Amino acid sequence: MTATQDIAISVRDLKTFFYTNNRCNKALNGVSFDIKKGKTLCIVGESGCGKSVTAASIMQLLPTLSRIEQGEIIYHADRGDIPLHALEKNGRHMRRIRGAEIAMIFQDPMTALNPVYSVGFQIKESLRYHMKMVGRAAHQKAISLLKEMGIALPEKRVNDFPHRYSGGMRQRAMIAMAMACNPKVLIADEPTTALDVTIQAQIFELMDKLKREHGTGIMLITHDMGVVAELADDVAVMYMGNIVEAGTVDEVLRQPTHPYTKALLASVPVLGKGKNQDIKAIRGSTPDPLNRPKGCQFADRCDFATAQCQTMPEETHITPTHRVMCWRYKELVPNG
Amino acid sequence: MLTYIIRRVLILIPMAFVICFLVYLGLELTPGDAVSHMINPDAAGSMNPAQLEALRQSLGLGQPFHVRFWSWFTNLLQGNFGYSMSGGVPIANIIATRLPATLELAAVALVFSTVIGSLLGVVSALKRGSKTDSALTVIGMLGVSIPEFFFGLVAISIFALNLGWFPVGGRSMPGYLTLWDRLPHMVMPAMVLSIMLTAGVMRYARSSMLDALSRDFIKTARSKGLPEWRVNLLHGFRVALTPVVVLIGFRLPVLIGGSVIIEQVFQWPGIGNEFISAVRSQDYPVVMTIALLSVMAVLVASLIVDILTAVIDPRVRLGE
Repeated sequence: MTATQDIAISVRDLKTFFYTNNRCNKALNGVSFDIKKGKTLCIVGESGCGKSVTAASIMQLLPTLSRIEQGEIIYHADRGDIPLHALEKNGRHMRRIRGAEIAMIFQDPMTALNPVYSVGFQIKESLRYHMKMVGRAAHQKAISLLKEMGIALPEKRVNDFPHRYSGGMRQRAMIAMAMACNPKVLIADEPTTALDVTIQAQIFELMDKLKREHGTGIMLITHDMGVVAELADDVAVMYMGNIVEAGTVDEVLRQPTHPYTKALLASVPVLGKGKNQDIKAIRGSTPDPLNRPKGCQFADRCDFATAQCQTMPEETHITPTHRVMCWRYKELVPNG
Repeated sequence: MLTYIIRRVLILIPMAFVICFLVYLGLELTPGDAVSHMINPDAAGSMNPAQLEALRQSLGLGQPFHVRFWSWFTNLLQGNFGYSMSGGVPIANIIATRLPATLELAAVALVFSTVIGSLLGVVSALKRGSKTDSALTVIGMLGVSIPEFFFGLVAISIFALNLGWFPVGGRSMPGYLTLWDRLPHMVMPAMVLSIMLTAGVMRYARSSMLDALSRDFIKTARSKGLPEWRVNLLHGFRVALTPVVVLIGFRLPVLIGGSVIIEQVFQWPGIGNEFISAVRSQDYPVVMTIALLSVMAVLVASLIVDILTAVIDPRVRLGE
């Protein structure tokens, strides 16, 4: 296992529940993972599996009707370990970490920037609150951030309002904002879903550069397997509030063990195979989160399900880094 | 920004001209003319048609429509609105004495309702679902749905007749010269006038604020670690402000045109009160001038709204 000093955030047995209409949705049901310094952790899974809730839990940006029920989120800061789950949601301590040490970029850059303030103003807000940087110094810093993010004519663009930026530029501006205080961890919640493919590649290239140059740990939420193969150092596959399989990118993509991971990889269309290729969609649909199956959440849709799957499988380590939640993983390990 | 304002003002000029034309045309299309209003039908019947014709000619009514319109319009530009038919007083003088009273009331009501209304609306939105919110919502509903004159009468009955705190009506008493002297007269009409507007602004501000708070950029602002007040006010309220400004702006002409009912209830010597008596005595030049004034107020208000929304929301600044 990795030494503790390389880990930026460790999440242990995190359970986040949503309470709506007097019913409880166990959105995260015991999730554990580490975000390592200078590495990219990709979290993949289909819609509604809890990817974004994981991000919101770390940032303490959960909606009012939800809360962290159990488990811990430890942020390994230079000044010591900080239990994020225990901090008051919008309290002073949490706010000092948010944006300064752990920053986040969102899915849709079109709506994530405030339309009535200039991009520069929004970047300078971070600088003002975390670095006590105001006036000319902040302005220069904002310009240099935009420049670093590859925005042309940053001196002029810094005063522009978001509606004068293109989608890709807005996401760059978002990243500039997030990187303003040189955070230890950057959480990116599907940062390119709303952008077209060429821009997507540019944004990821930018994130990769930031990771290398600043040693930022990145948690990238995506459902694009191509992105995972390209960027990830570690991968966690989520399904219905659990991490069903996690490991290094090689382990998970080359030796997928959980039936869900296998099915997910089999369902990706391959470029060049033509339009008649046989895409293996996963049969059935995700269960109702308020009316979950007992035991393994994937059992109903799984080709390998047995009676044993009626009870929740334990998390098992195949290698020190590769773990899986499946009763029959031994039979499914490729070459194993 | 300056280009935007200049452009917006320039658009106003042809609009104002067209409106003047339409108002004049409207009057032209009513049956009869000034002479038939000046002389009662019995007398007119006994008069010699030649005399009537001579009167028409002397008043310039024999001229073709466009000539009369043009002379009326150029007079208007010089501040000459004509004369009241019932008193023979220049209408400009009537407006000059009545308008300040109306504006005084309108200003107080506008400032009060804007400040209190937005404040309560924001509080209501931030404490959504709480008891404060429910109470404010109910009060707001009552405020917008109960007609103003009812509040006016209730206020007179309680605060003027029973408690005797404020005078029943009027704007001042003889010898009352300073604003401070006249303040007690203003309290009730201003408050009653404010009720409906305040309630409206509050409900608008609440829903607009809730809408703004649910937007993605609020989450972004929070994720930057900004304090809650900054998230709510700078990011939330600033965006929520635009619809509220529009609402207040379009209430402005109503207030300037004189709140007819309130001025009547409190015997406030403003434009609205004058309007009522002019209608009753069929004093067409006065009615027309006040109507024109109201329409111009709409134009000016929409100009103000446009400029304010452009200040608040940069996306509005067209053609920059």
